[in-house]
Amino acid sequence: MSVRESTAASVRRVAVFAATTARPTTERERERRRIAIMCLPFFALATVAGFVPLAMLVRMSVAADVIWIEGWSLDAWRTLLTEPTYRRVAWNTVWFVGLATVVSVVLGVAVAHVLEKYDLPFERVVVAAVSFPIALPGIIVAILVIAMLGRQGLVTNAIAAVTGTSAIDLASATAITGLFLGYVYSLVPRATMVLRGTYAEVNTQAEEAARSLGASRWETFYRVTLPEIRPGIAAATILTFRSGLAIFGTVLLLQSHYVITLQIQREISVGTYRPDVAAAIGLVYVVFIVAFTFVGLRFVRTDTVTL
Amino acid sequence: MSEVTLESLTKRYGDELAVDGIDLTIRDGEILGIVGPSGCGKTTTLRTIAGFETPTRGRVRFDGVDVTHVPPEERHVGLVFQSYALFDTMTVRENVAFGLKMRDVPQRERRERASALLEMLDIAALADRRPTTLSGGQQQRVGLARALAIEPHVLLLDEPMTGLDAALKARLRTEIRDLLADLGVTAIYVTHDQEEAMAMCDRIAVLNAGTVEQVGTPSAIYRRPANAFVANFIGNSTLLTGVAEDGRVDLGFAELEVAAATNGTVTVAVRPEAFEFEREGSIDAEVTSATYLGDRTQLTATLPDDTTVALHADAAETYRTGETVSLSIDDTSVHVLE
Repeated sequence: MSVRESTAASVRRVAVFAATTARPTTERERERRRIAIMCLPFFALATVAGFVPLAMLVRMSVAADVIWIEGWSLDAWRTLLTEPTYRRVAWNTVWFVGLATVVSVVLGVAVAHVLEKYDLPFERVVVAAVSFPIALPGIIVAILVIAMLGRQGLVTNAIAAVTGTSAIDLASATAITGLFLGYVYSLVPRATMVLRGTYAEVNTQAEEAARSLGASRWETFYRVTLPEIRPGIAAATILTFRSGLAIFGTVLLLQSHYVITLQIQREISVGTYRPDVAAAIGLVYVVFIVAFTFVGLRFVRTDTVTL
Repeated sequence: MSEVTLESLTKRYGDELAVDGIDLTIRDGEILGIVGPSGCGKTTTLRTIAGFETPTRGRVRFDGVDVTHVPPEERHVGLVFQSYALFDTMTVRENVAFGLKMRDVPQRERRERASALLEMLDIAALADRRPTTLSGGQQQRVGLARALAIEPHVLLLDEPMTGLDAALKARLRTEIRDLLADLGVTAIYVTHDQEEAMAMCDRIAVLNAGTVEQVGTPSAIYRRPANAFVANFIGNSTLLTGVAEDGRVDLGFAELEVAAATNGTVTVAVRPEAFEFEREGSIDAEVTSATYLGDRTQLTATLPDDTTVALHADAAETYRTGETVSLSIDDTSVHVLE
């Protein structure tokens, strides 16, 4: 079959597919139409809120205005690749958010374990308290951190009083720690929510079988529970890392560590106004997130965990 | 293997009394069945023996040693579950060797002992497969091999055959009974299936509302039920009221030559097979339903005093609803309840 014939055949197949979806006669075709109708709003939204802004970002990264009037250049991309500042910001972002993700997922496992394995008094109150930070804007989290670990913070002054050190020195020394705790505070609930769903699927009788066979509580967790919740841990890691990368309010207020979101804000601030670089950073960010999610999903069994 | 003793075992969840002062001894090498309706305390008793529940009152002893507060991992108890509860992330061989690994048995010995058990249970060919790829019967064999691998003081089986089909159940039942007898394992077999308990167990304990109604051999429980509950729960019984006097019981429509402990009003448990079909029997009963079951026809009929009875009739005969059948009662097959 020639290329022309095969193209014509493909076009015919697509046309038949579209026609049968629009006017279905079999149950399979009717199901396809239901799927199409249900997915339509999402694709409409994805187009307006996803594809169009992405196309705009591509354009902004190479041209300040309409391409055929202004022309285009790769200056922004050249800047991104050559200036050490951007490599430093990228590395800062990855290690900081990566560490916050690891700590948050470990804490999430512990919290999910306690919530799912034990009959807690006031369990609903505990669940509400654990999930509460999800609803908090980043700015509020930053204010909480300042209230606790700032120069006049409760914890800072308590430690200063006990150790005899200066509260100002202490607050400066722990500035990045405060930001880290703010990140963890925001991310733990996300990890916990995903892991709770996974924990609910854990075969408790298999855990009891392990105990009866001589495994301690820790060995049972390590050898039976942990392998079972591994897909949940992978899912929680993906979600938490992605959420961590997107945190902006907290870091904007605390400014104790330069990460990607803060750098984008800098690029579009008065004085250093470089929207083309901001757009290029944004595109790198999107590509990284998509690639990370695809790689991460290889470790997630979609029948046990959804993202 | 061990003798297991339960002393005044009581378990309360809030206001609910799940187990109410059970005293029971499971002899060394014996298979004891625990049967009873849902919620009677069977599984709670089993979990208490395994160490997953701490009794509110009472003690659990293995060979006289008090293990009431010993954690499950130190009790040396094998558990076989209805849901198999295998480790899906491990192979069949790793499942069977798990308990040995927890006991720091060297890898080579673990492998040999696991292989021997897999061979014994006829699943050696499945050693490298994952449990999720096996049938229900195969998974249950793996569960049994895994529990036996640690040579437990006592093997606890919690409704292990509930999910299996009838033919497989019948085959596995015989295999497990013979295997446990060969190994001399002390076993407690919880089931709601009385037929399974009778086929598998040396003795049966019938539980009701957290208490033991009767403990005895399958034959004793069937032929001489201690009370109306056991008579009705184990097999099918018709309970007839009569007046006992000097070794005879007058039912009103028939007289039985059967000894009762006291004279006066008594309850007599009559099994379906105790009713004999006669050409001219002493009792006329009206057939209310007839169900052909292949090896027999199961009838329900109304006696002259309006009591409904279950009867086992010859499958070769045809019975119609409304027909009158002539019966007699075999005196040797009835039991006067105390």
